[in-house]
Amino acid sequence: MSTRKISLSALLFLSVYVLQEAFITQFHIGGGGFSLFLIFALLWAALSTPDIGALTGFVAGFLIDLSQSTNGAVGQWTFVLILVGFGISYLGLGYENVRMNPFTITLLVTGSVVVARVFYALLSLLLGEEIGSFTSIITSLLIGALWSAAIVPILMPLIARAYDFIEDSRLRL
Amino acid sequence: MARGGENRGRLLLIILIITSLFLITLDLRGVSVISGLKTGTQSALSPVQNFGSTILSPVRNFISDVIHLGRTRSEMEALREENGKLLTQLRERRSIDAQLEQLQGALDLAGKAEFKVVSARVISQGATTSFTQTITIDAGSKNGIKPNMTVINSYGLIGVVKTVYPSSSLIQLTSDPSFRMGVRVAGSQQIGILSGQGTRKGVLQLLDNQSTIKVGDILVARGSVNNRPFVPGVPVGEVTSVDNAAGAVTQTAEVRFFANFSDISVVTVVLKGPDADPRDAIIPAKPVPTPVPTVTVFVTPSQSPSPNSTGTN
Repeated sequence: MSTRKISLSALLFLSVYVLQEAFITQFHIGGGGFSLFLIFALLWAALSTPDIGALTGFVAGFLIDLSQSTNGAVGQWTFVLILVGFGISYLGLGYENVRMNPFTITLLVTGSVVVARVFYALLSLLLGEEIGSFTSIITSLLIGALWSAAIVPILMPLIARAYDFIEDSRLRL
Repeated sequence: MARGGENRGRLLLIILIITSLFLITLDLRGVSVISGLKTGTQSALSPVQNFGSTILSPVRNFISDVIHLGRTRSEMEALREENGKLLTQLRERRSIDAQLEQLQGALDLAGKAEFKVVSARVISQGATTSFTQTITIDAGSKNGIKPNMTVINSYGLIGVVKTVYPSSSLIQLTSDPSFRMGVRVAGSQQIGILSGQGTRKGVLQLLDNQSTIKVGDILVARGSVNNRPFVPGVPVGEVTSVDNAAGAVTQTAEVRFFANFSDISVVTVVLKGPDADPRDAIIPAKPVPTPVPTVTVFVTPSQSPSPNSTGTN
């Protein structure tokens, strides 16, 4: 990975992170809203190779862990997103049409958001944190999934272009 | 060659996983570097959040105006503020009346005027990455805020200070699913545990199986030792429905919080509660009989009726 790729990727990730933390969180969006940064990171991982997907998950997870709205232990989201980032990029490589079909990638990223949050909830329980009632978690997961499904198609062309630019490749989405 | 790349990928994955587990361990063991990193991030983000809050305020107001069908924001805010104050006064009055009636002698419902407070603006709302419901305010340890302080607005209790940074603080809302607090029913003085449910409604569980509650009962904060995390007497919510299940050990009820969590822009953190802690006055002082002056009026009817009393004036 060249210095150009690393620095441009880091700049993009930090920009989206600041956008999420400083601007998206200003609005009280119905049902708890969505995490633009989480969707962005998983979409990025879906476009990458498994090792880059895991690395993307590590960086994104660590940044989410540093967010003031994250209550869990530092490293928790890092751990979750390494595995989910690796998984989503592995699935992306396994099915060629995932990259070719916008519907499939929407489904893949939305599913990954849900899986990541379920995994995070389970890890929180294991670490003895209180995460609320079963009903509230299910409601939050469902609404989060709906938001993700709505956001991914909007973000996808932008992120694909940014990915193309940084990777200097031509992905067809 | 491909096998080498695969092995390298696996090695990277293992290294990353071990690093993340190492981070979790360090954080759980309270290593200051990790918490310092989080504090540093929040300190760096706080000015950006302030900036975001300022520039997005017109957008938020516009959306709110559209939602509220053209009524101006300022007018609504003023009315809401006034209404909130009146409601708070009314609830406090109801509770005070009840306490006087029962000769408790406790001063649980200390008015806001007795609190030492600091007001702050909400600069961020919690994200969906965690299942918690939080807000971030633009006041922190520099303003005297410490963890476990009560946060209120004109309607009543908002939440409790969870984490404090130099110039911002994270507030856990009462609607948070993991939020628990002791409350007291104004009037009957029964106590119970109120739990957040992730919405504007909470669940109250009474502690005494002989107690009963009814729809419309007002709940106030029970209070904590040294007024942290909860100062006593702050209005919390109103009972909207009661569960009278025959098999239940204690009665439970659904409670609607007075505060509207979807529309919080300014909150007040209670730095210091009332001087006299009413929680210490568990046994109320016996009422001392005081002489009540009585006035006896003797009325002697006159022999002849006055002209006015005949109505012929």
